[in-house]
Order: sequence, then structure tokens, then C-alpha cells
Amino acid sequence: MSIAELEGQLVGPTVPTGGLWHEAWRRLRRDRGAIVGFIFVCCFVLAAVLAPIIAPYGPLDQDLALITKGCCPGPSSAHWFGVDQLGRDELSRILWGARYSLIIGVVSVTVGLSIGVTLGSIAGYFGGAVDNIIMRLMDIMLAIPGLLLAIGIVAVLGPGLFQIMIAVGVTSIPIFARLIRGSILSQREADFVLAARSVGVPRRSILGSHILPNSISPVIVQGTLSLATAIIDVAGLAFLGLGDPDPSRPEWGAMLTNTNEYLQSAPFLAIIPGIAIVISALGFNLIGDALREALDPKLRGRA
Amino acid sequence: MLRFIVRRLLLLVPILIGLSILIFFWIHALPGGPAQALLGERATPEAVAQIRHDLGLDKPIYEQYWAYVRTTAEGNLGVSISSRRPVTTEIRERFPATVELTIAAMIFALSLGIPLGFYAAKRHGSAFDHASLVGSLIGISIPIFFLAIILKYIFAVRLGWLPSIGRQSVLINAEHPTGFYVLDGIVTGNWNAAWDAVQHLILPAIALGSIPLAIIARITRASALDVQNEDYVRTARAKGMSPGIVDRRHVMRNALLPVVTIIGLQFGLLLGGAVLTETVFAIPGMGSWLAQAIFNRDYPVIQGGVLFLAIVFVMVNLIVDLSYGFLNPRIRVS
Amino acid sequence: MGRKLKFSLVVVVASLALVAAAGAALKSNKATTTLVFGASADPVILDGPLVSDGESLRPISIIFQGLVSLKPGTTTIVPQLATSWSTSKNGLNWTFNLRQGVKFTDGTPFNAAAVCFNFNRWWNFPGPLQNPSVTYYWNTVFGGFHHPATGSPGPDKALYKGCKTAGQNTAIIQLTRKSGGFLGSLALSVFGMASPTALVKYKADAGTVTPDGVFQPTGTFGTQHPVGTGPYMFKSWKIGDKLVLVKNPTYWGNASSPSWSRSGKVDQLIFVPIPDNAARLQALETGEIQGYDNVAPQDIPTVRGNSGLKLVNRPPFNVAYVGINQSKPPMNNILVREAVAYGLDRAGVVNAFYGGRGQQTNQFLPPQLFGYAKTGVPSYPYDPDKAKALLQQAGLTLPVKVDFWFPTNVSRPYMPDPASNFQAFQASLEKSGFKVTPHSEPWRPNYLGDVQSGNAQLFLLGWTGDWGDPSDFLNVHFGSETPQFGFNNPALFALLKAADAQTDLDKRTALYQQASVAVMKFLPVIPYVHSTPALAFKSNVNGFIASPVGLDPFWLVSFGK
Repeated sequence: MSIAELEGQLVGPTVPTGGLWHEAWRRLRRDRGAIVGFIFVCCFVLAAVLAPIIAPYGPLDQDLALITKGCCPGPSSAHWFGVDQLGRDELSRILWGARYSLIIGVVSVTVGLSIGVTLGSIAGYFGGAVDNIIMRLMDIMLAIPGLLLAIGIVAVLGPGLFQIMIAVGVTSIPIFARLIRGSILSQREADFVLAARSVGVPRRSILGSHILPNSISPVIVQGTLSLATAIIDVAGLAFLGLGDPDPSRPEWGAMLTNTNEYLQSAPFLAIIPGIAIVISALGFNLIGDALREALDPKLRGRA
Repeated sequence: MLRFIVRRLLLLVPILIGLSILIFFWIHALPGGPAQALLGERATPEAVAQIRHDLGLDKPIYEQYWAYVRTTAEGNLGVSISSRRPVTTEIRERFPATVELTIAAMIFALSLGIPLGFYAAKRHGSAFDHASLVGSLIGISIPIFFLAIILKYIFAVRLGWLPSIGRQSVLINAEHPTGFYVLDGIVTGNWNAAWDAVQHLILPAIALGSIPLAIIARITRASALDVQNEDYVRTARAKGMSPGIVDRRHVMRNALLPVVTIIGLQFGLLLGGAVLTETVFAIPGMGSWLAQAIFNRDYPVIQGGVLFLAIVFVMVNLIVDLSYGFLNPRIRVS
Repeated sequence: MGRKLKFSLVVVVASLALVAAAGAALKSNKATTTLVFGASADPVILDGPLVSDGESLRPISIIFQGLVSLKPGTTTIVPQLATSWSTSKNGLNWTFNLRQGVKFTDGTPFNAAAVCFNFNRWWNFPGPLQNPSVTYYWNTVFGGFHHPATGSPGPDKALYKGCKTAGQNTAIIQLTRKSGGFLGSLALSVFGMASPTALVKYKADAGTVTPDGVFQPTGTFGTQHPVGTGPYMFKSWKIGDKLVLVKNPTYWGNASSPSWSRSGKVDQLIFVPIPDNAARLQALETGEIQGYDNVAPQDIPTVRGNSGLKLVNRPPFNVAYVGINQSKPPMNNILVREAVAYGLDRAGVVNAFYGGRGQQTNQFLPPQLFGYAKTGVPSYPYDPDKAKALLQQAGLTLPVKVDFWFPTNVSRPYMPDPASNFQAFQASLEKSGFKVTPHSEPWRPNYLGDVQSGNAQLFLLGWTGDWGDPSDFLNVHFGSETPQFGFNNPALFALLKAADAQTDLDKRTALYQQASVAVMKFLPVIPYVHSTPALAFKSNVNGFIASPVGLDPFWLVSFGK
């Protein structure tokens, strides 16, 4: 569960109005954390997108001659991040690895968000028995600790990057479902909804044109934070060996798997992919956190 | 109060039923199914049929499910394929290790996180406050296994201050009546063994507790900020009560309530993180056991282990819920 | 006497008594010397015939002794529980004169009846235990059972015929045919002599076998009461924790016996399972263990550079190869197999991943073994263009898809890092007109079983010799049709059979040299390296002599300065 959700339980779901967006943008621009986060995320996305162009070598190009003296030569002018145990350029693999992390993060969050928001909306819209069933289902999903649930799903689907994406995405469904449902429930009793109902506006269009758009901001915040979590969780699953069966794939988590063996001889092999993960996740966390603060009307008027 | 407890317990039943159904179907969804998994590639059609009959897999699905519930309720979780020992025996041996690690991580997170959160709230807006915010964000951005590897590298490999693997040094001949090594050392009066067990817990507890630490610090800070601005606190201060007493009697007590709520949820995070931490530090707990079982396709272990952990998690949340109800009378009547 | 005085007298006497007791207690706490050795896993079970893995064989080879043994560090056969032996004229009856005055650690005598009890126990294994996954070595060496279950070979296929006693101290083993390799196989730790009394009392054969060949004992012989005649005996075993052996107080040998029979020096041997390679090194550096096996190549400079540690080389007696399953086309085409041979950058792999301790090879047999062919072996240097040409010659469209299997979660003495070998081979094959589909599986529990059942097309595997005869390498792998390699080559089978039956050493050598060359022409496998595995110890551990076949004499170890 993320910090946002937990703090959200304290602060309570809120209904932002149009003016909030402008104020939020202003506050974001001044927030140093948000700026740093934005820079990190930009580096990450640029690395992912431009990898084929800026990587000095191919991610799979081996040069066994470099490791005949043992593993592994560290950073040098020819290889800024050194080479790995198969003589492949670490910098290139980090850059290409950003692609995997980006795609994995986006797909996982999309899966979790779309299914979660749908389920939560249905539960909030219909209420009653439907709401009960869906929420109990979410409770059961939350009853199994997150990583174990993901491991369980991968055990069924088999190892592979795509399967990990689905698994991590599925584990975030309950969070989005609860978020949307909570937002819908609290807005159902709001004045403007009662007013619209009394005039005869159908429930469907109230949901579609008013309630859902007002719920976007917590979803965006949660989405950003879930993206950070997804990057880390996928790395964790790959570290456990549940990722791509092809060991030459430059995925950051998988790159960390065997580095336990090389801690004494080549610690940079462990440090560099780890720092890449930290920077990417931190970037999204900083932005998400700043967004939450910026969009929180309760904090209006506070420092 | 009683109604509150009863209601909570009743809620438990559908969750447990749902869990058991989920896990049952999950096992049958695993590639190859239990019969194929047991036979592997030596599966001739006759052998598969025989196994299916032996395992009762040719009966209708609801009969199988009922048999599964019955045997599980009897405490029979099957036999591990890798170690050839009953799953329940392995759980009994390995669970204390994970519990010990989880408790140590929680102690670390609470004892550092709560003071940090309070201090940041008191110094709201200061450099320390900002630093704590950033720090907690960094804390949740570091993958647990990466932190574990780095800690191991710096403190065990390079500096040699702490042991790098396991729960206890091999040469210590200690009795283990409870299975919790630190407790065992104390109970048997073997202070050497107890201290040795503590040393083995330090690095894994820090790695595992890093995320709960970050979260607890944030929640405490937010909650303390809220409470600080409440009317009753301002009244107490205006009355001239010393800041220390105000803090302890009013701010802390009320601010800690939300922290209690999330302790139960943190437990789930810790269980998941235990899988990674135990793997890096070679601790023979349930986390590394499950991770190996996934690798080895040891289905009885996976099934029994996940079910057990899920039930424990539900129970812990129940206890936390109940204790929150004790602490916060408003919840009881809601 | 005043009460005060009486009281002080009592106090003085009591304190004296306490001091004396403390002194006595301190004295009896003589330092027990202990060697803690880091294993990579727990043993499976401490019952020789039922295991084939190195972790089980290590303690088994210390607790149990066989009729013959090997001179430490070599594959030379020496007497152990048998002092001398002879064969009948027709080579079918082997008479063993047994050492006298030897007792098992439960006090029962070792004699000819005990020898025949052990052999007949294995010969009479019930159905489930006949599964080759359980009794690998009996199946491989003796090839048959007295009461075969469906699918198991019977007395007609077996090498073993029976065992007879001639008095207390002479045992006669009867074979069905001449065998040059028989004596060497008796040195295997799996054929160590166990106490018949203990075998019966603790129900060694009781238990079930799961469908995938895992023996689940209900008796306690192999878990709590393994009784042998060796220099150390079993004390305790907690799975996941440690296995403790202590000196055998009634051992028949002493400090001046030959090295393979000598009594032990350290008081206690403790084996601790530490699955992670890096963790073992760290445990050694911190002193939690004093030695471990299979040092990873990248850690060798670390061990060498640490003055508190030392490296002990294991004499190379292994081979690593890329296996080919010819039942999966197009691998049945010799041109394709040759293309694979030309397409593998074997020199690159050997130079990169073996820490300078790998010896490139051109054939399956290691050079230390007689039968190694010094001339006439075809060579296949890395040549991507030639590989492509051969594939086209075979009429295939490039790239040719292949399924390449490799194990994970393991480090073998001949292959320290399978994933690295795989990736390098994958890259060189893809330059040579192939398209490689990776297929990985954890070593335990399934990789060997899957490969041996013939599911792989190309696979990484290897072999450490069990006894000092080429039949252990060539006949075991290529002597008959197997699902693993999927080929039927009657000429090769006949050649290997003839070679094994040949008891004249020179003729045997010549035949095996011929066979080795034939294997490299037929290419059922592509061998690439013989490696020198290494063990690491604390520098004050002396006397350890590493065996090429893993029969390490732990009883010779002592602590020096």
C-alpha cells in the first residue's frame, strides 16, 4: 500500500474544483521536490526512448576478451560504467534497460488502473450487493501480501516479463478500486449531486460528467506512485528469477540477480543497476508526492 | 464492544472461505496441474491416470474442494517434494525465523520512525522537516533486495562488523526451546547465544524495515501535524501547560492512533519483503522457503505456505482492528 | 565452637568445594577441535546406495568404508576393508580377503556375512527403490535387480550374480561377465559397508518413493543412525542447520595407518548447508566456516589475495559439454552437428569463465585418464562461416532454430556459471546461422531429469568421473541408446562394449583411444573444457588432499599455526 493511500485515509477524499488546478500548478512549479523528481523522470524517459541512438554499444554485444583476466573491468574511458561478466557494456545495458522498466511500469499501472477504476466505479455506482461482492473480492486480494500475490500469479502464468507486468498490475487493482469507490461514495452526498438528481439528471451522466472527473486527481497521484512501486516490484520479481528466461535481457532487476556473486570482485555491477532503479522510482515518487500536496485543498493556505 | 468484536469476527469467515477457494483454484491453475507437476516428464498416460486417481483428481471439483478443506482443517498440508518432510513441520521450523525478523524490522521502524515523525512535525517547515520528507521518499524508492545487498557489502564484507548470513553462528551450541533464537538465548541463560542472534538480525531488520520506517515517519508526521492544530491542544498550551506534557499527553496519544492502523497493513509489506531479505541473507525462514519452492515447483509447499501466511496476515489485521477499536471509542460505535 | 565460627567454617568449606568443582569443570572443558565445512546443500540421506549427489556422498564417504578405496588425491585403488583380492580364471568370481578385528560403531562385527548382507540388500531392493533416480549407481554399475519391477532390468541384464561367504573373513562376489571396471567401482562411497544390525533395526529400506524418484524414508537409518566402520561416526543432524560427525572411538585404524585408512585428527566435523556461493565465501572470511568446496572463478583472486585463506586445487577429472539430442531434428544430421561444433566459441568461453583454470579439450576423456587419444582427434575450431556453409549444405534455410537448455540455481565443478556459458554460446551460435531459444530450469529438482528424459535439443551438462576408468566416461554416456542423446549407433556401442570387456591394460587403452576418436567424429556431444575446481580453507587448516572423484579424506585434516 502506498503512502498516498494511507495519508488519504487521514485526509479524506476531497472534491477539487476548477480553481484548484491552477493553484496546484503554481505550487508544483515552486516545489523543489517536484522539480528534482521531474528531472529524474525526464532522464529516465529520455534514456528509454533514445537508448538505440545514444547507447555506445549494443546491449547484447559480448566481448569475451575483456574478461579473460577475470570479472570484471570497472569504469574506463571506453566503458563508462564498466563491463559485465560477459563483456557487455554496462552503460548501454542500463540505457536499454530503462526501456523495459518504462514499458513494464506503464503497462502494469495501466492494467491496475483500468481494471481497478472500472471495478470501483461499478461498486460505487450500483451500491448494495454488487458493491459488497466487489469489495469483499478486493479484501480477499488484499488479504494476500502483495509480493506473494504477484509470485502466485507468475507461478500460474509462467516466468516472463509480460507475465510479471500482469502480476504486478493485478496486485494494484484493489488500491485503485478502493480509491475510486471512496471518492464516488463521498461525492454521492455532495450538494451538487443532490441538486442534479433533484432536477432529474440521470445517475449515469452524473457519474460520467461530474463525479469521475472530480476523482481524477487522486487517481493520477496514485497512478504516479504506483508507477514507482511497479518499477521496484518488477525488479524484485526479476531478482527472484521469475523474469525473462533469457538471461541476456538487460532488465535492471535481472541484472542485479547474479551480482551477489560478484560483490567482492565487481561491486559496481550491483550498485549501478540498483541506483538506476532508485532514481527512476524516486523521480515518480517525488512527482506523485508533490502532486498530492499540490492538489490537496486542505493544505491550501498552509506552507 | 462485544458487538464490535463479533462483527469483526463474522467478517473473517467470508474472507477465509474466499481465500481457500482462491488458493484451491490457483493450485489447479498452475501449469501442468498437480499430477503433471509430480510426474514431470516421466508421465506416461497410465502414470498420469494413476496419480490423478491417487490424488483424487478424477472426482468432481466440489468434492475435491471439500476434501482439500477437510484435510487442511485437520492440519495436513501435504509433504514437500524437495525435502520430503511434512509441510507443517517445515512451517513450524521456519515460521519463528520470519516472525523474529519481522518483529525486529517493526521495532526498528517504530523506534526510529515515530520520533522522527514527531520531531519533523514539531519543526514543521524547517530543514529537518523537508529532509525527513525527502528521506522517507528515498526510503520507499530503494528496492529491499538492493538495500540488503548494499548493507551486506558495507557492514559484513568490507567492514566485518556484523555477520553476513544466517540466524546464528555455527559454533554456538545453543538450545532452541522456542525457535526464536533471541528469546531462546535469554530463556536458557545463554547470553552469548542471545547476543549472537541479535547481531545476525541487525542488518536484515534494517533492510526489511526501511520501507515501514519511511511510511511510519510520514504518517506520524502528518497525524501529529493534524493534532497539533486541534483546538484542544491549543487550549492546553494557552492554559500554560508545559510543551513537554502537552506533547505527551495530548499530541502523541492521539497522533499515534493512525499509526496503529497501519501496523497491520505494514505486516503484509513485511511478509512480502521477507522473501527478498531472507534470500539475500540466507535466513532459513518462510520467505526464502517459499522463494525456493517456486523455483523447485514444490507445489505442496507453495500451496501450504501461501495459505498459512494469508491466514496469519488476516489474523494480525483482525487483532490490529480490534485493538484500534479498544483505543478509539469512536470506531466502536460507528 | 561459637556459631559465628561454625558459620564461617561452613562458608569456607563450601567455597573451597565450589572452587574445586569449578576447577574440575574447567579442566574437563578441554578444547575440542572442530572443522566446520560449508556445503552447498543438506545431504539427501545418509545411506550410500540411495544417493548420487556430492553433498550426501561427502559425509557418507567418511562414515562408511568400502572393500577398497582410493589413494588420496588419485584414482589408484588401494585395500580398505578388504586386504587383498583375486579373480577366478574366468574372471567371474572375485574373492576378497577381509580385514580382521573391524567393528561397526554399534559394536557388531564386520565380517563376510556383513559384506554379503550389504550386497544382497542392494540386489534385492524392492520395486520403488529400483528407480534409477534413487539407486543410480547400482543401476549403472550392476545393471539389474533380483526381483525386478515392471520396467526395471532383471538378473538377465545384471552384472551381479551373487555373494558367498567362505568363513568369517572371506567374501566372494560372483559376476555374470568379465568386467575391467568392476574393482574401481567398488571404491565408490555408495558401496560402503553398513552394519546389518543397524540396517534392520532402523528399517533402512522402509519408506515410499514419490513418482519423481524421491525416496521418503519412514525408518531412521539414513537420518539418525547411519552405522559404518569409518574414522568418524554420526552424532547429530538437523536439516537446514548442521550435520555433526565425531571421531569413532573404536576405529580399527590409527595414526600410523596408510593415509586412506588413518584415524581422524580433529575431534568433530560439522557440515553446514549454505546454498549461496557468495555467502559461503563470506562465511569463510568471517570464520564461521573453515572451508568450502567449489570456489567460484571470480572469487579465486579474492581467496588468493587474503593471507588468512588458502586455495586447494582439486585434480581435474571432469568434462563440460554441449549435449545434442539427435531425436530432435535436424540434430540427427551429422552436418548440422558439425555446424554446431564450428559455431561454438569454446575457446572464448574457456578463457573467460574458468578463471584461467580451465583446460580446453578436444575430446570427452580427460587427459589424466588412460584411453585419452593423443592423435587423430578431429578438431572443430570456431568458424561461423564454415558453420553457415555446412547448414546450407544440409539443405536448411538460415537461421536454423534450436532449443538450448541450461540449468539455473547451481554451480557445477565443470561449469561454475551455466548462465554465462549459455549466453556466450548463444551469441556465437547466432553468428553462425542459428537462432537460439533459451530454456532454463533450476538444477534441483528437474533439470537432470528433464535432460535425461530427452526433452532438450541442445543442453549444457558435464560429468565428474566416479572412478578411474574410461568406461565411467564413455560407456556410461555412449554405451547404449539413451533418451538423453537420442541416437542408435550399433558400431559405437559394440566398440565400447568390447573395450570394457578387455582386461589387458594396453589393449584396453588402445580400444578406448579408438572409441574416443570415434565419439568426436560422430559428435553426440561437443566437449569443451576440463576444469580444475578449487576448495578454499582458512590458512591454518592443514592436511587436506582433494580427490579427483570427490572422495575427500577429511580425516587427514588438522589445525596448524
